[in-house]
Amino acid sequence: MLHRLLPLAIGLFLAANNLPAAQTRDQMVLSDRDNVLGGGKWIYNDLAKGLDEAGRTGKPLLVVLRCVP
Amino acid sequence: MACSGFDGQLVRYDFELQKLMEQFVRVRIVQGNALDLSLFQFDTDLTFAAFVLNADRTVYGRFGTRSEQKRADKEITIEGFREALAGALELHRNYPANKSALQGKQPLPVKFKTPEQYPGLTGKYAATLNYATGKVASSCIHCHQVSEAQRRLFRADSQPIPDEVLHTWPVPDVIGLSFDPKSKAKLAGVAAGSVADKAGFKAGDELVSFEGQPLLSIADVQWVLHQAKDPTTLKAAVRRDGLPLVLTLQLGKAWRQKSDVSWRSSTWDLRRMALGGLVLKELDADRRSQLALPDTALALRVDYVGQYGEHAAGKKAGFKKEDILVDCDGLTQRMSESDLLRNLLQKRMSGSRVPVTVLRGSEKLTLELPLQ
Repeated sequence: MLHRLLPLAIGLFLAANNLPAAQTRDQMVLSDRDNVLGGGKWIYNDLAKGLDEAGRTGKPLLVVLRCVP
Repeated sequence: MACSGFDGQLVRYDFELQKLMEQFVRVRIVQGNALDLSLFQFDTDLTFAAFVLNADRTVYGRFGTRSEQKRADKEITIEGFREALAGALELHRNYPANKSALQGKQPLPVKFKTPEQYPGLTGKYAATLNYATGKVASSCIHCHQVSEAQRRLFRADSQPIPDEVLHTWPVPDVIGLSFDPKSKAKLAGVAAGSVADKAGFKAGDELVSFEGQPLLSIADVQWVLHQAKDPTTLKAAVRRDGLPLVLTLQLGKAWRQKSDVSWRSSTWDLRRMALGGLVLKELDADRRSQLALPDTALALRVDYVGQYGEHAAGKKAGFKKEDILVDCDGLTQRMSESDLLRNLLQKRMSGSRVPVTVLRGSEKLTLELPLQ
């Protein structure tokens, strides 16, 4: 019985204390995209666009490969 | 700091770094799907790696090194990343006059241009992530799946997996060099008696180039080691107390076998193939002494037993957590889990069954390990 109630109790505790619950792997990937694109400083998952822009501006390209989840 | 902490500073917080990064066009790729493997050749067990390139796809350098499971950031620092970016900007200013010096840094021809072209990954993944349904994580090809797919080709063809495919991207510690992660490629130490020691390297030396390739990071050193023959000779241009120096490393036969693979995500699949999903750790000195096992004898403790699917083959064969392997397929000399994996994967093909003697409490049992 206890193991069934435990997740509910943890959820209520987090909600009551306004603490962020751990993100699922899907949420981590989704929020990475939202956060990074929201910052407006990175081209996201689009190497061709990056190469085009580097060619147009004469800047070098920095490509970060990141395994998020 | 975990990789996520480093990554977070990079994309959001470190203002000094931002000034440098503003001089680059910045691209963030979070999927292995459709990753151009003819351009991006790197240690695919990393969760963070970076490339600096020219728009014509010439690689200036790589960044990102790891040698432990728990401390993903041991070899990467924001300071080191700044140094790498500053070095890349200098290479960019001198480009294309320096093109010939950069030749050795360029990617090699590949058989499969993207991960999803590998047998085993084909048909399972699309070229883009599935953001629409929210099931995005499971639609992602993780980079370590690339090295797994590469090794599975050898296994499927009943071929031994060669050293250069098992012991990929050797960390420089293998040859006795340890670098200051806050620099591009400055030596923090040199292991006494190592190949590097014999070549004359000293702590404080700054590696300027390796095999003629200008260095931006430890990953650039690893690129040279990754490509190096077995055995071979490698030349390093060094700056010591402001003066240039050329040192020569003599790498002996099977030099890369010293490279530990136990921390790698892709080793999970090697354990499936060779150990039926068992995770093995070397027995500590006290336990070895208690059991009267000589220092030279094989003594690998089962730290974890895989529970599901093909990773449960060891469990089904009767292996239990805390069993101590003292003989595996006739191998009785002391070795690490990495060594045992290599021995089995180079000598025994899929479908083999190897006899294993284990100590379990006061009992000595013989079990049979099925290889996959």
